Amino acid sequence: MIEKINITQWIIIAVSLVAAPFIGALISGLDRKITARMQGRKGPPVIQPFYDIIKLFSKQPIALHKLQILYAFLHLVFMMLVVVLLAMGQDLLMILFAHAFSTICLVLGGMSVRSPYSRIGSMRKIMQMLAYEPILILIIVAIYLQTDSFLASSVMDMSKPMLWSMPLLFLSFLCAVAIKLNKSPFDVSTSHHAHQELIKGITVEYAGPYLGIIEIAHLYETAILFFIIMMFWQTNYYIGFGLETIAFVAILILDNTFSRLTTTWMLKYMWSIPLFLSIANIIWLWSK
Amino acid sequence: MEIMNFNVLLAVLIIVPVVFGVVAYLSPWDKLRSLSIVFCSVIVAAAGIMITIAPNDKFTLPGSETIATILEVAIVCIILYIAVKIKNWLILLMSLAQLGMIVAEIILAHTGHTVAHTYDFATDPLTKILILITSIIGPVIAIYAIGYMKNHQEHAPPSAASLGQFFFFFIAFLGFMNGLVMANNLKWFSFFWEATTLCSYMLIGQDGGESKKNAERALLINTFGGTAMIAGVLWLVVNNNTESFEGLLLAKAVIPMVLLCVAAFTKSALLPFQSWLLGAMIAPTPVSALLHSATMVKAGSYLVLRVTPGFHDSAKVMMVITFIGALTFAGAALLAVTQSNAKRVLAYSTISNLGLVVACAGINSPLAYAAALAIICFHAISKGLLFLCVGRIEQKIGSRDIEDMGGILYRMPVTTSVALIGMMSMLLPPFGMLLSKWMAIEATIRSPLILVFIILGSALTVFFWSKWIGRIQTSSYHPNFNKETMDPAMGFSLITLALGVLLTGVGSMWIFNKFFAPITREVFASRTDISDVLWNVFTAAGNFAAVTLFVAVGIAFLAYWLLVWRRFKETDVRLPYLCGENAESTVYTTSAFHNSEGTRSYAFRSMGDKIENSWSSTTYLKNFICEKKATIWLNLIAWVIIIILLGEAHLL
Amino acid sequence: MFNAVSKSPWVVHFNCNSCNGCDIEFLACLTPHYDVERFGILHIGNPKHADVLVVTGSVNNRNARVLQNVYNQIPDPKVVVALGVCTSSGGVFAGCYNILGGVDIVIPVDVFVPGCPPRPEAMIDGIVKAVGILERKRKGEIFPTAPKPLCKFKPSEEQSAETTAIKEEKTV
Repeated sequence: MIEKINITQWIIIAVSLVAAPFIGALISGLDRKITARMQGRKGPPVIQPFYDIIKLFSKQPIALHKLQILYAFLHLVFMMLVVVLLAMGQDLLMILFAHAFSTICLVLGGMSVRSPYSRIGSMRKIMQMLAYEPILILIIVAIYLQTDSFLASSVMDMSKPMLWSMPLLFLSFLCAVAIKLNKSPFDVSTSHHAHQELIKGITVEYAGPYLGIIEIAHLYETAILFFIIMMFWQTNYYIGFGLETIAFVAILILDNTFSRLTTTWMLKYMWSIPLFLSIANIIWLWSK
Repeated sequence: MEIMNFNVLLAVLIIVPVVFGVVAYLSPWDKLRSLSIVFCSVIVAAAGIMITIAPNDKFTLPGSETIATILEVAIVCIILYIAVKIKNWLILLMSLAQLGMIVAEIILAHTGHTVAHTYDFATDPLTKILILITSIIGPVIAIYAIGYMKNHQEHAPPSAASLGQFFFFFIAFLGFMNGLVMANNLKWFSFFWEATTLCSYMLIGQDGGESKKNAERALLINTFGGTAMIAGVLWLVVNNNTESFEGLLLAKAVIPMVLLCVAAFTKSALLPFQSWLLGAMIAPTPVSALLHSATMVKAGSYLVLRVTPGFHDSAKVMMVITFIGALTFAGAALLAVTQSNAKRVLAYSTISNLGLVVACAGINSPLAYAAALAIICFHAISKGLLFLCVGRIEQKIGSRDIEDMGGILYRMPVTTSVALIGMMSMLLPPFGMLLSKWMAIEATIRSPLILVFIILGSALTVFFWSKWIGRIQTSSYHPNFNKETMDPAMGFSLITLALGVLLTGVGSMWIFNKFFAPITREVFASRTDISDVLWNVFTAAGNFAAVTLFVAVGIAFLAYWLLVWRRFKETDVRLPYLCGENAESTVYTTSAFHNSEGTRSYAFRSMGDKIENSWSSTTYLKNFICEKKATIWLNLIAWVIIIILLGEAHLL
Repeated sequence: MFNAVSKSPWVVHFNCNSCNGCDIEFLACLTPHYDVERFGILHIGNPKHADVLVVTGSVNNRNARVLQNVYNQIPDPKVVVALGVCTSSGGVFAGCYNILGGVDIVIPVDVFVPGCPPRPEAMIDGIVKAVGILERKRKGEIFPTAPKPLCKFKPSEEQSAETTAIKEEKTV
């Protein structure tokens, strides 16, 4: 497979690897800015995430032990691998597994230290995974049912926008994105706002550059998620971009109007409404 | 190459373990017993590898009909005797039924009912895979058992049976298992089937006392399966004039197939029958390892894989079988989430994976079949390893509770790292289990109901494994790890299996393409109804750039080593954040960190400067699921499906 | 771009023994009216992520160790901003039987913000000043700790004696 990659693909891979964190940073910068405006504040500059990460790398690398840091590296590298695999148009399920592995590494990093807060954050992160993972797999299944292929590149072969055939899955996916981006009401494991209550949850014991690594991985993840949202209208990138904007604003409104709810609620909610919506959509595609 | 002769290898694989078992039983000295076990292990492993390399072959024993019948009657009589002894009338009744059916067969044979005789034993790719598992992993576990039982017997209750008896059944088990997978004649097959049941009964009841009760349950459920099987064989003899797997597949006799499958479900401990495998956890750990990875439960999944490929025409029956498997996969994973007892988690995980095997077998597509083979293989290695690790951890810390396993990374680094490898191989790429699950999802894509079960099951699997991995690797900073002393026998087994897991993990894609794919193509060669799409998926799965995974892991480790491992300074070490109330100094000092390696606690200063322990447990979703209630419901559903299955078979 | 430390100071807030006056004023800095996030300042709950430690209140026997621990858990470079008069001398609590004094007797303080409580503007000013020190610390210039504001209140001889007596009683 590797030898089949031509020079253009190598360039695409390289560009997406470099561009993804910048896109992610811009998205989260915009996120902070718009959130501030929604709350009647001025808010930080849009490039604030860059400052944050550069600052983190100039800090003292304190840690609890060495193993913890290995997991941070694995988290980042596998998040980058997801980008590479997407750029290569590889098997979607395998991409999903690489993504899950990346998240599990974060969880394991949080659990490898003897810290109660980190542990609680990790447990909640696994609950989050449990909540959204089925929906992501069902989306891939829906893609297969239409294209007879698991390859990410096959999405481009569909003549109609994916949103036409899987609107319910799109709604469910937005919930999954809200979980992944740690937005209220799903921001149970770590949150941008809940510094005091969660003590930053899962990343509590990471500091300095190691936290920076995790933040970069989060930027990659943000870019990946928004790329997937855009792919729901893969026939026209401008409309896809519009879709992305709508989704972005919707998630921000959700974030700013809801309070944080419990993990139990999250699991019950995700395994009831979005899961059933997804299954309904799958059955609809299947019977066609 | 006389030694490579098929008949000789066959005899070695089946008879040598039994013979050495007798030696181990009679031996008055521990040394001789250990020696005979090691010797037998080497021979069996060598023979297993040789028979795998050798071309497929068939073998017919002269007068086999009579010998098999005599052996079968003998083994049923032994079970009958046990039933009378333990006064379990249900077992007695079923054994009598079995005896009756065997006698009916004999009478039929003597009244001129002709039965087509074919070869008795044979090897084919499926058999070879099972032989490899039995004759390599089995002996490794047996060697581990030498070290384990030495320690175990010192603390064993007075009711425990002798070591000699333990090792006899332990080793003979391997021989019976080898016979079972090679048998083509169903008479021989039933004999070996009952023999493994008997072995497991004796091994589970090893410690006496309460374990006897659990052993009785295992015997009861497996005898039920045995009865179903002998009924199936009788049906086959009466209606189809055949008594071999070959004949069964040719005749496409659905009713015997379903009966055999029910027997397989009992042995594989699928959902309504799972209680015996959970009860079997009371046995010494090597027994659990043997039952879960090398023998017993694999016999069930083998039988399903053996009989199902011919029955793609009976789509409804296959659908129901798939459904049982899928339900077991998700249900057992759900129950595993609620468990904090390490061995029970492992047991539920085994049940769950066997469910997936059966589901894959039922789907009846090449990809699913390959996935099933892969799961059997990779699961055997990983699960064997995990049981051995848990056994060792249990002997060391005196607890099976997952919550007690914090901090063992420092105290027993070798065992814990090996256990971590084993656990990660159950759910992470590029290890084979994940690969198989991936193929299973790709194969079930056309049946949404099954698919949803498999997706939920996979999510739950990730959940309970990562919880456990997180717990056992929890530790504080130590400049150096403890030196771990291990019994050489146990150390050998752990390292061998860990290497096996790592190598098969690294080469999982290669193994898949090199072995499972060709086997599947062979099995499905005669099928014309398989659409091109399915084969396309098959090719796509084989083409995945697995190398990227290794590159990624390599980059991560290299960066870690360069940037962190070499530059790590003790002055950068801090204690965890406990709102500043840490009992020890937050900056690294040897004494502060040395004292802080509790298994479950985080010392902090509470009211009046009292030092107390905080504790955050792992989630068991107790407010969602109650194990007992969930078990009752799941069993109920599973029984309904079994009844549907039987009804479906009769309707056809 | 490279003076990023001064563009994103993350603040952890520690209440030593405060009457909560300073704390409420400090939290007011986060509100839309003052909005410190426009400077990239985030109020976080975990010293391991922090650059600036904001302390309010005086130090007593109980919390001195906690303050020390929280300070130790902040990775370098770090600065300490002490808000309010209590942090410099003990304020209204000075001379109380359990009060050890200002924050500076436990950890080095970089900026003292006077007031009881200081106005939010003053606090923001103090933090911005501290951020300048942070930047210089990052560059490796060792910065001297802040000169302590003059303490006007001094316990009388009798009061001191009384406090010592109580302390001794407790230890017995």
